[in-house]
Amino acid sequence: MALSRHFLPWDRPLLPQAVEYLAGGWRGPGPLDLADLLVVVPTRQSGRRLREALAAHAEARQAAVFPPRVMLPESLLAAGAGAAGIATRLESHLAWIAEFRELELEEFRAVFPLDPPGRNFAWAQRLAQTFGRLQATLAEAGLRLADVTAQAGPNFPEAERWTQLARLEARHAERLAARGRREAQAAKLERARAPAPLAGIRRIVVLGTPDPLPLARTLLEAHAAVLPVEIVVYAPAAEAAAFDAWGRPREEAWETRGLDWPDFERHVQVCADPAAQAERVAGLAAGYGQPEGLLGVGVADAEVLPLLDLALGHAGLETFNPEGRARRGDGLHALLAALAGLAREDDFARAESLARCPDFLDFLQARVGAEFSPAGFLAGLDELHARHLPPSLAEARRHEPGNPGLRAIAEVRERLTTGRFPANAAATLGLIFGGRRFRLTQPADAQAAEAAEAWMEILRELAAAPAGELTNDEWWELALGLYGETVHYDEKAPGAVELQGWLELLWEDAPHLVVAGLNDGRVPDAVVGDPFLPEALRVRLGLKTNGARLARDAYLLQALAQGRARSGSLDLLVGKTSAAGDPLRPSRLLLQCADAALPARVEFLFRPAAAARANPPWRRAWPLVPPRRAAPDRLAVTALRDWLACPFRFYLKRVLRLEAVDPAKNELSAMDFGTLCHAALEAMGREPALRDCVEPEPIRDFLLAALDRTAAATLGPELTLPLRVQLASARQRLGRAAEVQAQLRAEGWVIQEVERPFSLEAGGLTITGKIDRIDRHATTGAIRVLDYKTSDQPDRPQEVHLRRPRAGVVPPEFACLPGAPEAWRDLQLPLYLRALAPEFPGERTGGYFNLPKASTATGLALWDDATPELAASAWACATGVAAAIQAGRFWPPSESVNEEYDDFAPLFHQGAAASVAWGEGPP
Amino acid sequence: MTTIGHRMILASAGSGKTYALTNRFVRLLALGARPERIVALTFTRKAAGEFFDEILTKLAQAARDPAKARVLAAAVELPALGVADFLGLLRTVVQAMHRLRLGTFDGFFAHVVRNFPLELGLAGEFEVLQDYAARRERRRVLRRLFTQAGGRADAQREFIEAFKRATFGADEKQLGAQLERFLDRHQEVYLEVPDPARWGNADRIWPDGSGWATRAGGLAEAAGDLRARLDRRELTDGQRERWAAFFAALPEWLPGAPLPKPVEYLLANALDVWPALQAGAAELTVDRRKLALDAAEGGALARVIRQVIGAELERRLEITRGIHAVLRGYESGYHEAVRREGKLTFGDVQRLLLPGRAGAAVLSREAGDESRLFIDFRLDAEIDHWLLDEFQDTSFGQWSVIKNLVDEAVQDPTGARSFFYVGDVKQAIFAWREGDPRLFREIFNHYNAAQPGVITEAQLVDSWRSGPPVIALVNAVFGQAAAIRDLVPGPAAEDWNREWRDHTSAQPELGGHAALFHGADEAERFAQALRLLQEIEPLARGLSCALLVQQNDTAARLAEYLRREGGLPAVAESDLQVGTDNPVGAALLALVQAAAHPGDRQAQGHLQMTPLGALLAADGLVHPAALTRRVLGQIHAEGFERLVNGWWRRLEAKLAPDDAFSRLRARQFAAAAAQFDATGSREVAEFVEFMHRHTVRDSDTAAVVRVMTVHKAKGLGFDLVILPDLEGTKLDVRREGLAVQKAADRSVDWVLDLPNTLFAEQDPVLAAHLAAAKADAAYESLSLLYVAMTRAKRAMYLITKAPGKSKSRNFPKLLAATLGDAAAPGRVGRLTLASAFAVGDADWHTRLDRRAPAAPVAATLERVDAAAVRKSRRLLSRRPAAGHEAVVPGALIFSLQSGAATDFGTAVHARLAEVAWRGEAGEARWEESCRAGGLAGEEARACLHAPDLARVWQRPDSPRAEVWRERAFEVVLDGVWVTGVFDRVVVAADAEGRAVRATVFDFKTDRVSDEEEVAAAVARHAGQLNLYRRAVAMLAGLAPSAVGCELVLTRLGRRAVVPPAPGAK
Ligand code: SF4
Repeated sequence: MALSRHFLPWDRPLLPQAVEYLAGGWRGPGPLDLADLLVVVPTRQSGRRLREALAAHAEARQAAVFPPRVMLPESLLAAGAGAAGIATRLESHLAWIAEFRELELEEFRAVFPLDPPGRNFAWAQRLAQTFGRLQATLAEAGLRLADVTAQAGPNFPEAERWTQLARLEARHAERLAARGRREAQAAKLERARAPAPLAGIRRIVVLGTPDPLPLARTLLEAHAAVLPVEIVVYAPAAEAAAFDAWGRPREEAWETRGLDWPDFERHVQVCADPAAQAERVAGLAAGYGQPEGLLGVGVADAEVLPLLDLALGHAGLETFNPEGRARRGDGLHALLAALAGLAREDDFARAESLARCPDFLDFLQARVGAEFSPAGFLAGLDELHARHLPPSLAEARRHEPGNPGLRAIAEVRERLTTGRFPANAAATLGLIFGGRRFRLTQPADAQAAEAAEAWMEILRELAAAPAGELTNDEWWELALGLYGETVHYDEKAPGAVELQGWLELLWEDAPHLVVAGLNDGRVPDAVVGDPFLPEALRVRLGLKTNGARLARDAYLLQALAQGRARSGSLDLLVGKTSAAGDPLRPSRLLLQCADAALPARVEFLFRPAAAARANPPWRRAWPLVPPRRAAPDRLAVTALRDWLACPFRFYLKRVLRLEAVDPAKNELSAMDFGTLCHAALEAMGREPALRDCVEPEPIRDFLLAALDRTAAATLGPELTLPLRVQLASARQRLGRAAEVQAQLRAEGWVIQEVERPFSLEAGGLTITGKIDRIDRHATTGAIRVLDYKTSDQPDRPQEVHLRRPRAGVVPPEFACLPGAPEAWRDLQLPLYLRALAPEFPGERTGGYFNLPKASTATGLALWDDATPELAASAWACATGVAAAIQAGRFWPPSESVNEEYDDFAPLFHQGAAASVAWGEGPP
Repeated sequence: MTTIGHRMILASAGSGKTYALTNRFVRLLALGARPERIVALTFTRKAAGEFFDEILTKLAQAARDPAKARVLAAAVELPALGVADFLGLLRTVVQAMHRLRLGTFDGFFAHVVRNFPLELGLAGEFEVLQDYAARRERRRVLRRLFTQAGGRADAQREFIEAFKRATFGADEKQLGAQLERFLDRHQEVYLEVPDPARWGNADRIWPDGSGWATRAGGLAEAAGDLRARLDRRELTDGQRERWAAFFAALPEWLPGAPLPKPVEYLLANALDVWPALQAGAAELTVDRRKLALDAAEGGALARVIRQVIGAELERRLEITRGIHAVLRGYESGYHEAVRREGKLTFGDVQRLLLPGRAGAAVLSREAGDESRLFIDFRLDAEIDHWLLDEFQDTSFGQWSVIKNLVDEAVQDPTGARSFFYVGDVKQAIFAWREGDPRLFREIFNHYNAAQPGVITEAQLVDSWRSGPPVIALVNAVFGQAAAIRDLVPGPAAEDWNREWRDHTSAQPELGGHAALFHGADEAERFAQALRLLQEIEPLARGLSCALLVQQNDTAARLAEYLRREGGLPAVAESDLQVGTDNPVGAALLALVQAAAHPGDRQAQGHLQMTPLGALLAADGLVHPAALTRRVLGQIHAEGFERLVNGWWRRLEAKLAPDDAFSRLRARQFAAAAAQFDATGSREVAEFVEFMHRHTVRDSDTAAVVRVMTVHKAKGLGFDLVILPDLEGTKLDVRREGLAVQKAADRSVDWVLDLPNTLFAEQDPVLAAHLAAAKADAAYESLSLLYVAMTRAKRAMYLITKAPGKSKSRNFPKLLAATLGDAAAPGRVGRLTLASAFAVGDADWHTRLDRRAPAAPVAATLERVDAAAVRKSRRLLSRRPAAGHEAVVPGALIFSLQSGAATDFGTAVHARLAEVAWRGEAGEARWEESCRAGGLAGEEARACLHAPDLARVWQRPDSPRAEVWRERAFEVVLDGVWVTGVFDRVVVAADAEGRAVRATVFDFKTDRVSDEEEVAAAVARHAGQLNLYRRAVAMLAGLAPSAVGCELVLTRLGRRAVVPPAPGAK
């Protein structure tokens, strides 16, 4: 037997002709029985389309089909792999890793002239990938590494390197042999040269496949010895000379062949960027209403794909990507990544990641029961995080030993780290999913089960791998990588627009075809640079070259255009820039034309793209509409400060109680830091033994011990690095405060009271507060009311309480200091003093006990020039604020809050007031 | 043959740098150079793209127009070339398009590294980290560093120690935030100079000793001495107070911390007379009066000063070493976790190629030398020609990487290779990105010293961009050598004046106008800019127009002002934060945040205030628990992009129909989400962070007033340019950060965290460093103004504050010194402004037609006439779930062994498929192998003998019979395409071979044990089997009623009949 070539003219689409070719003279009745036929097609999608069309063909005669075996060239080669004794991809990969870890690089200096900075797993694993790919590429042409030097011929500049590479390959093969395995590539070459007979197959048809792999050709050639092999080329017979015996476009026939296209400029459009291309396709599709069957969409540049998906979605059309999606982005992958992280380290952040996986939450729900609230659990985790900043899960559990969610995470971690991979990984997933039932009739469950199956297949394969080679972490990394590479194929939704790759398009039979992203580097596709196989070497080795790719793509373009020349249309979109704004060039194929036409084509394709779209001016989609609530009738003194700073933010913070969670928090906030210092100082104030102490050391010892106690209680014994730095800072400040305290006592000041609560009635509002400390002078009886401050810079009470308003800001009348340019910003100290008046009617001074970062500035800052008038003004202001709050006056917001310090910045765009729809009036 | 030659071109702004470069390219082609052997590098991919477009367009025009061909032939100095030649060259370039090497330094280096990974210590392919990814990696490394307790406690302790040293006197309580700033500021220096011996090393900085004293206790002693002496002096009350404050504050001061005011006051005054003081007696000013110190007093003060400066320097050295230690700690973690994983920044890529690195090889075209990387083979090209653009911005590192290749080209005795570089040292505004304008001349001198005349020089001063008035203004400012010398420190002025040539306009017909106006403050300058725009109406006249400023936030402010006050379509061309700069993005972020963090009351509340609130309520998602479940579920199942789109589609209805802006932002948001999804992450916190960092470059849009920084405007030209933001303190402000002292060969001598300028200026070594740094800064400032002023084609308006008596050496001062500062009413059309200088035609704009702005043409694709074409048919498809349970427990799926269960099923099926009829030849052999085939074999064998299954294997009692085993089929039923595989179908046929009836047997290996389960199995599989029934009927040409369907329950060895679907025909 031999190869025979057949031609299907390209004035009609390929698919119906292919069906007719295969069906031959079949007219029914009875089934269309093609079961003894093996059909080779170029892609998965083309196989699917072929089978669909065969079924439809039979249907037209009220019949059904026994389909042919439909295979891709690469699956032809894969058939029979995995047979006993042949190394799987994973086994081969692991052998490479082991090889590289043990290798004496000295002996392979032509391959590794330089020692890598570290020979860890990551290095070996990536190198193994590199080598695996190299082997596979060579194997496509039936070569092994050892064959290269000989094949490359004389004057091969890298002969020494390839000799050493061949030695590496031999060692790899030996290593596999020691495990009773044969190297897969070698086995594949043998299989291709002497394939097992194809049971039940009487005829092979290679259909519309313009570039079968070289090794697949070897295999088909072998079959051709016993079976008829028909090569069916989609081109008129008159073009026979432009194709070789395998139906491949001959380079010399296609490399300069022009695309004769009378209305080139109508059908080729240069678009500014991927978004513009996407919009143009979507506009066309939407214009058809139901484009299925009429419009085919090709995407040559993958960058356009997500945008096209989006644009069609906006036009109300579903999309379908026949190439499938890598599982790297699916839900199970996210869960597995969280598990891998948790297995790697006992880090609280890892635990938090796991907790936010829905599958894990379902598990918790099932385990804990109806009283478990996932939202409550997550909120609790955030709170735990914010309050205690635990470095590890173990630490977190110390703070909340009874938390069932944390217990479950700990249990998961326990499973993950006990025993060997993959048994522990499987056991963990068994734990999480053990109670779940997957209803395969429901798409979501079916998909989840399919993903799980893909993962378990990897685990089963890993389970069979030799033990003890890798650590748990390394196994996880490997397994997760493998899983991420597997592909998931969606079901096509009815009417969905198929977004097909360039190589699929030959089989597309829709009368109108539009191809986006026809840019150089995508079409024709080209390999530019390779650390092992540069183009010059590829040519010498007979690997697929850029020339061959060009010929194939020139042919494809020609065929796409010809198939629609009489009826239908082909439109090509060329991008001017990538999504990132980098320039792109139009496909070279579009410049293949007669010399006379070339200058005009160049000017047409390279003219500046029309401005993408006029960028619309900024515009507000909607104003925020805050709910109206009444203010509480008790407020802290500090709330008055908030109102004075900005009544609307006061409303958000104190009335609506909007508070943000910062998941990235990794150290104490300024407030936490203050609280920590306060606690120690408070304890000092309560300690009778220190009441009269005038020596700094015991005070310092006490303060530091108190600090350590509080820190240990809130933060635990194991501290992250920033916390250690912060604690060191607190210690330094408290140490200096001890000196100041000793000095104060020596001057006669005795701590009278600490954390003294008070309340004041202002109108109908109760103002509450706690005074950090009250000192009384042992001899004069004078009273000092002190507030601890831990700002970096020492605070002066006058400046904190009163400030000149910024230009353009008019504070309310009651906030203004009579006869002075300043207005009140804070009322804390005057209100403290007022609250204490009944009890301490004598001399009272308010002030700060500053613990700033510069230790030399530690000490008191007293407001000693405060006058009764000032006190009266402050009280007037307080009552004014109270009245305003009660009247529901929370408007307008301040526009001068620095965005960096504005907790509510995310709510506001182009002005706070403008961002909110706020009608005046009572709530 | 015409020799090619090497060439340097100094091309002033607008003089046709690209023109020169593209001509060079054409010339090389015409002289026979193969396009892939030419490397042309520039700084942005955009520029490289334009460069390529220009070459092609130029060749295309010359290829069809003899006149243009003549012009091009003359320009490339090969006058014999004609139309046909250019067509040939055009074809050559087009065919080599994919092999052309027109790009950026970064791209070229990455390409080289990709081809030599093992040679450079990499393990294979690598990923280039861009902004967000780089930031994320940094966070991860820091997180590691922060939490790795236990094992790395020592490393942590060291790190804390180092950090304390590095931030001495600035005890900060927020380490995380501070560390990020710290790395932003210092990391690049570390990467350039990792060697600790160069950091804070006094012996390198002052090889002969610094001369500043640093004895412990020396300061107190010296101060005591001085105080004792002054106590004996006559002083005014004011002076006494000053000194008292000085002595009180001095002990409080710690080296490294800012000087207390009283100390600073006296030290500054003393340092004013430092030379005299060193000599002994000196007269210094204290409290506005002179105070003459005798030698003993002066000596005492000098000792105090020496101690203070000595202690300060000591501390700075310590801090510098601390900075190094911190960086080293961070870098080692980063290196381990990021670079080794194959994630590199462009900076890393370049450093890999830097010669001089341990083991690094030099790029070369000479094969066989082991210490060199022979590039010809791997890069698939023999690079003969080098064209370097914007050479003033080339860094020394970039040059070092390619230097050897250029050397080889220049030294090639055959003259077949060449080197060409072009740029403008007057536009060197990228020194902060290591641009090194001095290289320009140094290289020229270097090659020409070795071989005089080897590189020729050309200067281009004809501006093809600007009209005569703009050029006149530029010359009037920058051509005044004396004024420049007056205003900027020595070397900067000299460098500038040496390279300066007066420009000429090659576009005299452009006309136009240029002027300097005065505006007292920013508000007034903004207002004047607006009035100019309102008078000129550039957009209505089809003029391009830009307002250039110094900072991005000024651009945002100014654009906002123009839109608000003037209603103008002004766009600030900074990178737009599309994820967060608008209510839609903010609401979508609040949605995911609220879902992942149900305790985030702000996000929850925010949502409620947006239209999303109503949508959530409509979906019953008011409670945080429901929201969490729904949204996290969606994210995990489909990713962020689909989540965002799903919600957006519903949200869009709430938008004003004409709100194109919010729709654009929603699209951009979704596109960004798709980009994030591609990272594989499903973490909400990472997504939020990503969206906060994600920016989009505004595309070049026509018909808007563009507001941008001068840096962004480089390389662009506009009909009208306004510069309303030229204020600033000084021209020579040294860039902040560590002082890095470099030798002439650019190797780093030392690194130091400089002390207070007051002190640094007293130390000869540091003072020299400062002076040089200031000169560089001043030169860069001149460049910045030059770039800004040369963007204008027709009109250029500068608006500054009148400097008056101000002593600031800033831009307004320079403009006043060169253009004059006496303001008189100046006119632009009907508008009058205070003007100090004007040249050209004040009514220039009125001579241009007002035309209606061209409406953007909405390009569309034409539809085909659906009636006239043959539609392709698409079917719904269905694949009956065969061989699967309908409900699978999770425990089974996730069992390592359960694969064996499916394998078991498959094995039983395979065995049974081997049986055609009972009692066939070979049955004994089959049984034999079943026995050896484990449980599956046993089960298969048992099936063959099971009494209830006899009918399955029996040849039917009909004239003819056929059995289909494991047979695939395709059928269209009710318009749905069904694909499946029959386990076993027995077809009975009459003597003619016409089928009379058939039975479908479907093998089920389910673990079924009792009648109830059998019934359940039948119910479960009924749908599938009834499809099979119809398929068989169609295939065999039977009525469905003639087809029986039975489950074969292999485990029980019995059959179960599946009745026809109710209502089936
Ligand atoms: S003053 Fe002295 S004796 Fe009294 S408590 Fe303090 S340390 Fe003890």
